[in-house]
Amino acid sequence: MTLLLSINADGEGRISGATPERAVPPRPVPANDGHGDVRKKIVPIVRPPAGPSATAWEGGSYLTLAEWLDAPKPGSAILLQPADDVRQLADRLDGLALIAVDFPRIGDGRGYTHAFFLRERLGYKGPLRALGAVTADQVNALARVGFDSISLRADQLADPAEAALHTFTVPYQGGVFRGRDTANLKARIRLLELDLAEVARRHESPALASSLSAEDMVITDAIARLGLPIDIFTLDTGRLHAETLALIEVTAARYGIEITRYQPEADAVAKYVTTYGENGFYDGVAQRKECCAIRKVKPLANALAGRDAWLTGQRREQGVTRSALGERENDEERGIAKYNPLAVWSWADVLAYAAHFDVPMNALYARGYVSIGCEPCTKAVRPGEDPRAGRWWWENQESRECGLHTNVKTN
Amino acid sequence: MYRYDAVDRLIVEERVAQYRDQTQRYLAGLIDEDAFKPLRLQNGLYIQRYAPMLRIAIPYGVLSSDQLRVLASISRRYDRGYGHFTTRQNIQFNWVKVEEVPDILAELAQISMHAIQTSGSCVRNVTTDALAGVAVDEIVDPRPYCELMRQWSTLHPEFAHLPRKFKVAFNGAKEDRAATPVHDLAFDLYKDDAGEVRLIVKVGGGQGRTPRLASVIKRDLHWSELLTYSEAVLRAYNRIGRRDNIYKARIKILVEQLGAEAFAREVDEEWAHLRNGPNTLSETELTRVAAYFADPPLPDTQAPKRLPIDPRFRAWVARNVADHRNADYAAVTISLKREQIAPGDGNADEMDAVAALADRFSQSEIRVTHTQNLVLPYVARAQLFDLWRELEALNLARANIGMASDIICCPGGDFCSLANAKSIPLSAAIAAQLAPIEDDLGPLAIKVSGCINACAHHHVGHIGVLGVEKGGEDWYQILLGGRADGEGSLGVLIGKAVRGDEVPLVIERLAHHYLSTRRSDESFIEAVERQGAAAFKLALETAEHVAA
Repeated sequence: MTLLLSINADGEGRISGATPERAVPPRPVPANDGHGDVRKKIVPIVRPPAGPSATAWEGGSYLTLAEWLDAPKPGSAILLQPADDVRQLADRLDGLALIAVDFPRIGDGRGYTHAFFLRERLGYKGPLRALGAVTADQVNALARVGFDSISLRADQLADPAEAALHTFTVPYQGGVFRGRDTANLKARIRLLELDLAEVARRHESPALASSLSAEDMVITDAIARLGLPIDIFTLDTGRLHAETLALIEVTAARYGIEITRYQPEADAVAKYVTTYGENGFYDGVAQRKECCAIRKVKPLANALAGRDAWLTGQRREQGVTRSALGERENDEERGIAKYNPLAVWSWADVLAYAAHFDVPMNALYARGYVSIGCEPCTKAVRPGEDPRAGRWWWENQESRECGLHTNVKTN
Repeated sequence: MYRYDAVDRLIVEERVAQYRDQTQRYLAGLIDEDAFKPLRLQNGLYIQRYAPMLRIAIPYGVLSSDQLRVLASISRRYDRGYGHFTTRQNIQFNWVKVEEVPDILAELAQISMHAIQTSGSCVRNVTTDALAGVAVDEIVDPRPYCELMRQWSTLHPEFAHLPRKFKVAFNGAKEDRAATPVHDLAFDLYKDDAGEVRLIVKVGGGQGRTPRLASVIKRDLHWSELLTYSEAVLRAYNRIGRRDNIYKARIKILVEQLGAEAFAREVDEEWAHLRNGPNTLSETELTRVAAYFADPPLPDTQAPKRLPIDPRFRAWVARNVADHRNADYAAVTISLKREQIAPGDGNADEMDAVAALADRFSQSEIRVTHTQNLVLPYVARAQLFDLWRELEALNLARANIGMASDIICCPGGDFCSLANAKSIPLSAAIAAQLAPIEDDLGPLAIKVSGCINACAHHHVGHIGVLGVEKGGEDWYQILLGGRADGEGSLGVLIGKAVRGDEVPLVIERLAHHYLSTRRSDESFIEAVERQGAAAFKLALETAEHVAA
């Protein structure tokens, strides 16, 4: 008895049968030592197999191709050998209950072409099984050429075989040359998922700093879909737009996750207002930065206290201050890891993701905003204008950061 | 140069994860040696004579300075601080550890590189002209087609267990600098009368124990059918290529036994189902890929009217500097054929230094040639002297490109578990013997293989040397008259095998015969072709007789 991996139309695998008792093979020699001076003696002759790898299936004995062509009894199963010419089955497929393809050794790849001919050329839609010297590590390619059941070699385990079905998300041969944009969206989603899962695996208490921007909503969506243990917080500066505050509630309702709000210290805010006035930040870079320090930087420090990693939705495209942004950085100032999983994404990528998963968006975008921040310091920009042009527009480009994103080293 | 998009990036990352899992299961005893072998091979890992060897693909020989720096860093951390550039535009590290290979592959993935299908019975790294995109005699830039072929052939589920390895090369220039006649599948790109790119398709070339030159099976393939036609070739080969004897499993044997015309008919029959199908390339897709190979913005510069008079600099310019499409620029070859250093080897410091020079002088781009040298493809002529002085200081300015000491050489018996004889020390001895007459000899391609597998292309050397073993000693056969350019030509044996210490002398005698019989401006290979190998053989016997 060996394991049979059945693959359904969605590409999901199901294992039946039981793994037999198996002797553990001797541990291979891993390192350099031990191989010694290996002068290989090559034996060029490849001996043909003694006979077919199987004789029977669930419904009886296998027929050979020749037997089936001679006497096609409905309900039969055939076992194809590597040297068979599968194209002889053209118009002779009716009544076959199963076609099995024998792989007498791993290195004989003719069975893959058999499957191609059956599925693509002859239009065979029925059950197609691989058997013989078939290991978990061939499962992915076998499934991709059209096998829908795989009878594994006797020593094979279930888990690696099932996992192998999902090894590649968008292989080059799956229509990538005709629909690169679609393929790239799929790949980008998968890369984001892998990145976030890696962050969750590597860190004790990672958190996403969300401004409720589209980028942060994309990351929020991925965290929620995967159920990853990554917290999400926002810096509730006291000057946020109503649209932004509303999205916090929408997010909670949609994903069932709470976005924690970190607020500035009331004393510090009061002191600032007394000294510079409510909107004193318009009077100079120093005043503006002090406001950011009170309303954003200090609350961020509170939010990150005790954490070992944080994530942001920053993208390189967002402006000169972010053009060298790394995907994985070290936040030297805070002594923790910092991740920008969307660093190489374009705005179009963000929109494509949002549309694909129907991610709730900040209503400010519809009003021409491209960057989400405090109400007095953020404005809509004209189409085509630099995305950061809507932030602290009265200042030089190079100073237009709030002080959250400083002093990092790309890993 | 090409930059990975999300699709490319995810594929290499998923490939690393897959191989990491496979390595772990192998080390835990859950995958046996026989089952692990094709897995490690298709991730570039050989078990060599003394240690595992990792072969990393440099697709069609194009490398950025950032990539070269990471290769240097990998060689320092996981190997012994050097790498070996191969005749198929790969780099090899000779001392890696099996259990560390997944980490190396993960680092490569970060810089858009991989070791996928650099060995095993599958479609190997695609190669082309190291001067692609800059050569003055270029008709069609082959790089976009190479990249499309790289993608389509990477992890193709149907063609990962072919009868044997399968090497693909492209040539888009008048002079073939990619050795296409000795490839399993090769394409010459040209433009038809309407200006459309078309391909001449050749199959069945190869070296090894049965050297064969490729046969043309199609002359006017439209570029859009590059992949469909290749698919038809591979499917025919996968289906009917011999699998009973690995010495007869390359496609060259199939093509020879069937005949090129009959093989072409097999391909055409299959291709009829595939053309104008889902794998037919669209203008959009070609344009997308070709955009990555647009010329970098080259600053305006004036080629100097006169070169500095330093004779060593002038010799270097004469031999190592090739013309560029832009007359004010040049393509500079950095020779990796130095005295006391194995041909094609570069250490980590040198790799870093070349990367820095590429940043300063060549738009951060480097090429790897099939003759195991490096090229800086975008050097302003006005900066040649500055570059040369830097290279001089690094022992990287040997002026010998295409000359007798620019020897192609495989790792041989010093490293390779297949080798019958050493090749590296012999190459050094040959170069030393010919040093006094190297200038006079002019262009001369010497190629030294340690065994019949012909990794150093000895069959297509003007002079080829093949290691054979006799009674535990290193002996060598010497071949004459091969060439990898044009339609290609295979060298012929000029006598019985000789002992290693006699090889340099024999080659010197061949060289002297050429010098004493050449007509004006006649190169070594032209003299061989005019006189025939027999004349050289006779001269050799006479010289031996005199010496005796």
